[in-house]
Parts: sequence; C-alpha cells; structure tokens
Amino acid sequence: MHFSSFLRGLGRAVTLLALLGLAGCELIEFSPNDHRVPEEFTNLTEKNLAKLQARPLAPGDTLRFVFTGDSQQFYDEAKDLVSSVNQLSGISFLVVAGDISDFGLAREMRWVDEKLRRLNVPYVTVVGNHDQVGNGRETYQHIFGALNYSFVYGDTKFTMVDTNGREYNFDGTAPDMPWLRPQLNHLDGARRQVVICHVPPTNDDFDPALRTPYVQALSEAPNLVFEMNGHNHSFAISQPYNDGVTYVNSDAFSERHYMVVTVWGDKQFRIKRVAF
Amino acid sequence: MKNLLLMALLLAAGAVRAATPPDSALAPPRAARPWYRPGHLALQTGGGLGMVAAGAGYEYSKGRLETDILLGYVPKRFASSTLSLASVKFLYSPFRLPVGEKLQVVPITVGAYFSYTHGTINDELKGQYSSDYYWFSTDTRYGPLLGSRLTLLAAPVAATGQPRKLSFYYELGSNDLYLASYLNNRNGGLGIGQLLTLALGLKADF
Repeated sequence: MHFSSFLRGLGRAVTLLALLGLAGCELIEFSPNDHRVPEEFTNLTEKNLAKLQARPLAPGDTLRFVFTGDSQQFYDEAKDLVSSVNQLSGISFLVVAGDISDFGLAREMRWVDEKLRRLNVPYVTVVGNHDQVGNGRETYQHIFGALNYSFVYGDTKFTMVDTNGREYNFDGTAPDMPWLRPQLNHLDGARRQVVICHVPPTNDDFDPALRTPYVQALSEAPNLVFEMNGHNHSFAISQPYNDGVTYVNSDAFSERHYMVVTVWGDKQFRIKRVAF
Repeated sequence: MKNLLLMALLLAAGAVRAATPPDSALAPPRAARPWYRPGHLALQTGGGLGMVAAGAGYEYSKGRLETDILLGYVPKRFASSTLSLASVKFLYSPFRLPVGEKLQVVPITVGAYFSYTHGTINDELKGQYSSDYYWFSTDTRYGPLLGSRLTLLAAPVAATGQPRKLSFYYELGSNDLYLASYLNNRNGGLGIGQLLTLALGLKADF
C-alpha cells in the first residue's frame, strides 16, 4: 500500500524532472570544461570566413581590417569596441590575436562571440595561451576551429599560427614549422602575406628551440607585410631582429584601443591606432 | 479573548507540528547507527559536478544542514577528455512546508560547493609555468548554490523509525570563474543569467 503510493509519487516526480530537464538543458553544465554549445556557436572560423568570402574585394583594391587581441574577460570593453568598429566604413574584417578566453572555457568563448557577432563585418581569431588552459585547446577547436589555418582575401594571404609553446611544454610542436614553412613559401595566388599569432618570438612563452627557425622562416617569406601578435597587451611596431621583418603587437581589449590596418602594393602598410 | 487567541495559535502550531514528519516525535534511536553512516544517498546531473554525480550525505540540525559528497563523471565526448570530479556540498534548508501527508516542500536551500576535477588535458605540469602565471586553478572550482526540493515521505525505515524520504531537487549555481568574469564587468558586459548552471537530482534516505 505504502509502496505503491511511493511508486506513484516517484513516477510523477520523474515526469516533473524530465520536463525541468528539457527546459533547463542548456543550463545543465556537466563541468566548466563541458564544451557543448548550440550549433550556431561552433565552427565559427569556417562560418566567418564564408561570410568574408561572400563579400570579395575588387582585385587591386586596398585592404583594410581591424587588428586587436586579448579579449579575455573584457566584456564591457568588447561591447564598446563593437560599437566603435561598427562606425567605421571600408573595413573588411576584424582579427583577434588570441586569448579570446581567460580560462579556456566554452562559456567564455561563447560570451565573446555573442559580443563580436554584432560587428557589421566578420571576425577571425588565432588561438592564445589562455585558450589552451585545461581542455581549452579542444574547446577552441570545437567553437572556433583549426589552431593553424590560412586564407586569402583582398590579394593578401593570412597565415594564422599557434605559437603558444609553453602550453605544449616547449615540445617543439608549436609553432608547427613543417606546416608553417610551405604556407610561407606559397602565396596561394595572393600578392602579399601576413602572419598572425598570439605569442611573439621575443617572448619567454615562445618555444626557445623554435625561435630562430621561426624568425628565419619569416625573414625569408616572400612579400611578408608583417607578423602580428597579441599577448603583451600593448601596442608596438618594431623590427626586433633587424632583419627587415616588422612585428606588430596589439593592444588588449582592456587598453581600449584597436588598430585600423591598411595594406596595399607588394608590402605597403599603414597602421592607425584608434581609441574607443 | 487574549487567552483564546493564544490557545488558537498554540493549537495551530501543534497542528503544524503534527503535520511535519514525526522525526522528533518518534525520537529515533540515532545511536543505533554508527556516526559515520551517511543519512542519504544522492544522484544528480549538471551543476558543473558531472553528467552523472553520485554520493552520500549527512544531515545535522534536524535535517536543516547537510553535507553531501559526490563523485562525478563526464564522458570524453562532452569535454574532450574523460573527467572525474570529487565534490563536496554544504547546504542549509531553513524551512520545510508540509503539503499533505506524504509530501513536503523545501522552498529554499542555499549552499556552497567545492569541486576537484581530474583528467583535464593541459593540466599544469611541474615547472610549466612560473608561480602565479595563471591566477586561477584549472581543477579546483567553488561556487554558490540556491535551490528547492520536493520530498515524498514513505514508510519508515525499520531500523530508525524515521520516515523514508525521497527528494527531487534542483540547484542553480555558478562558479568562481564565472563570478569573477561578472564582477570584472560592472557595466553590463555580462548578465547574471549567463553565469548560471543547473543541477537536477534525487536524494533518498536509507
């Protein structure tokens, strides 16, 4: 008697539980490392590149894009950056030079995307060291995409490369030189090229064994406009190795500045720093 | 008149007490069970503590305070590596509202949890970073909890004379990293709703 009413109650409660479960599915997080997100927040690199390619630049046109980095935990600033960039005209896309997230968590990457998808132009990213903490490297690949990739837009080949050596315990795989060298040697029909990464070779977090090969490969890359990176949270344009290769370091979102970068010709460029 | 009112109040209070489970009336021979024997078993999903988390818990202060210890599991396909989590929850439920003979509602449970995750991929190796390179731990999380539960009362446990209880609970929670992200963005960069996690679970006395 008691038992049957107990079972009836159990049945009712299980139904209630199932209903609650359906309603709160997205909130039911198995772990902060749980990378399940709605489909619209996956493969963002591929989706954003498709949007970019749908708006091709006329051959010979000057290419203009916004360069920034290190959005990690700066959501107030992300909102303001988007409003500011949306007032510009003649911009093709925006680049975030890594450290999209602070803790390598899916929710953070989604939060940043929720801000940046409001841009009038597509954006692309390269992976940063913070994006690789814990299970972040795999989460980044699930939400954004490849760690190393390249694309051609507006007569320019962009090569995005993972240089976060410390996150691999300096095992000689980041940057992936066997992948990078042929990328640098073939412009895939473009007139000039740009290399974008997170950790610059001048930094202690760059694999020391790969510093010389990386710097050397860049110095030999045909029509390299510059190498761009984030990580330092401060604006800088320099030629630290006196080998003719220009290195451009982005501000972090927290610095409330971004760069408007214009490239043309074989490797001409102009960089304007904009406060927001 | 005053006395009448007082008597009515006392009667009402008595009625309420009678309707609450007779855990005080039928004073159970608590000593019959060793102190380390848990009072209930728990099973839950979500809350950042596992796809499935199971464990046991202790009750103090007539069930108002609880400590639950859970072991959780997340399969590789949801987090890129198989994760095992060890968690402890501290819960305080100030009220229990009787709804009929066989049902109780616990409208508010507040608490906190700590969890430790084993099995993350890029877990800090010795010497990988200088101290304070990352200010947070990738494996240790803590956060607040707020929930409710519905308890079904069944035939008493023979050994104790206490009613057997089966509870269904939900807990909204967050963690230190989500809260830090919120607190560092005071101009509306993140909404409270974006920080929340939900746990659904079952608790059974035994």
